[in-house]
Amino acid sequence: MSFFKSLAGICIVSSVILTQGCAFSRGTLGEDIKSESVAAIKKATTTKAEILALLGAPDRLLQVNGRDVFQYYRYDAKVGSLLLILINFSRVSIKSDDLFVILDREGIVEEVILSKHTDGLEFRFWPFGE
Amino acid sequence: MKLPLSGLCPLLLSTVMCVTFVGCNVVRITLNTPLTQNDVAFIVPGRTTLAEVIAKLGAPDSITESHTGVVATYRFLDTKYSRINFGWLLKPFSPVDADLIISRTGLGTDAFELFCDSNWVVTHQSFLRHLSGPRFNPYPF
Repeated sequence: MSFFKSLAGICIVSSVILTQGCAFSRGTLGEDIKSESVAAIKKATTTKAEILALLGAPDRLLQVNGRDVFQYYRYDAKVGSLLLILINFSRVSIKSDDLFVILDREGIVEEVILSKHTDGLEFRFWPFGE
Repeated sequence: MKLPLSGLCPLLLSTVMCVTFVGCNVVRITLNTPLTQNDVAFIVPGRTTLAEVIAKLGAPDSITESHTGVVATYRFLDTKYSRINFGWLLKPFSPVDADLIISRTGLGTDAFELFCDSNWVVTHQSFLRHLSGPRFNPYPF
């Protein structure tokens, strides 16, 4: 029992001595793509004007297969740093949310493609492994 | 044209600056989830549609037009940086801050590209660089 107490004590003292500090930083680019706004878009019904009213001007306007494609994106970056006396560990994780709205030649929504990768984004320190 | 990630550059730069003044640094930067051959094994050219790919992998980072149809691109990055400052060994004995630094960065940028015909059916697929992934290795020589 006393061995485990000593071990725990050593661990606590070591971590206090060796740890200088830790840091959390976060950066975002673009507006959050609201799920309720995307849910309001109906294929073969919603018009280009309604899309602009719902989501604002697109971040990118593409022309693909003779159709207009509105692209909206948002980036989220989380940085975790563990600052020790002799060594620092840092990990920067960046993920994006992307929304593509494909409009047909009449300006009616043909397809809506949304993927939100930022929901599961976590602060991580450990740079090794996955 | 302004790159989408240019707004995040100050954050990345400040992170690198903050961790520069210690003996050893290990930094990893990941952008999106790196894809592997296993992740895209379900794609059968001539049969799989872009909608099926999106259902499994999510939306691509970009969709552009080519002469034969559409190109969808998934970009990802797995950068590994490691650095050792041997000057730290002299700190207790030297009146000046001497530095002897070795460092190495493996950028690990890659992309997965899908070529689709006008009916959104995948015709070709390929990774841009077939990287096996960089390792943490500060030795630059």
